[in-house]
Amino acid sequence: MENRLRELRAARGLSQAAMAEQLGVSRQSINAIETGKYDPSLPLAFAIARLFGQKIEDVFLDEDGQAQAAE
Amino acid sequence: MAKQGFITAKRRYMRALWPLVIVYLVAVFSGSWMLRQYDDPPVGLAITAALAAALPLAIFMAVVLRYFTETDEYTRLRQLIAFARGAAFTVSAIFIFGFLQLFDVIGDIEVFWFGPLFLMSWGLSYCFGNLLGKTV
Repeated sequence: MENRLRELRAARGLSQAAMAEQLGVSRQSINAIETGKYDPSLPLAFAIARLFGQKIEDVFLDEDGQAQAAE
Repeated sequence: MAKQGFITAKRRYMRALWPLVIVYLVAVFSGSWMLRQYDDPPVGLAITAALAAALPLAIFMAVVLRYFTETDEYTRLRQLIAFARGAAFTVSAIFIFGFLQLFDVIGDIEVFWFGPLFLMSWGLSYCFGNLLGKTV
């Protein structure tokens, strides 16, 4: 699943480690999600979206790379 | 998500690990030293020494399972995959050597060594997963 994590994180000047600490996960988790190696569970995906003040569908995109909410 | 964060889980794991390592080392060295004092060690002493050395390892496994439960979901998944690979490798080795032994191809094997084999294969599986950057 594609996502806008790196973009949103960079916009807020957050490091992977700082973001991981805020979410209570490892830095490797954030890296794996950003690089598409790991799809987070729904609770973690919601927590990530909440951290950026976004809707979950605006952070995690469908296979075509389109935000599902826009459809 | 786990109720405990990754850092808390890791801290609790490390806090439990080191005392267990110390107790294990003391139990192994003092137990073997005591047994060496006898030409024919009493069975009771041998059983006590064996259980004293094995108990920290059993507790270590419980600590590992607690860590799996408390850590973050990604770490848990990677650890469980490595743990399963280590277990699969060890059980396969047990069957291979078990049948070789049953069919009198090889002599007796000390069961003890399958424990370190599991720990080593679990650890290697986790490390190689990291090195290859391959996760799930």
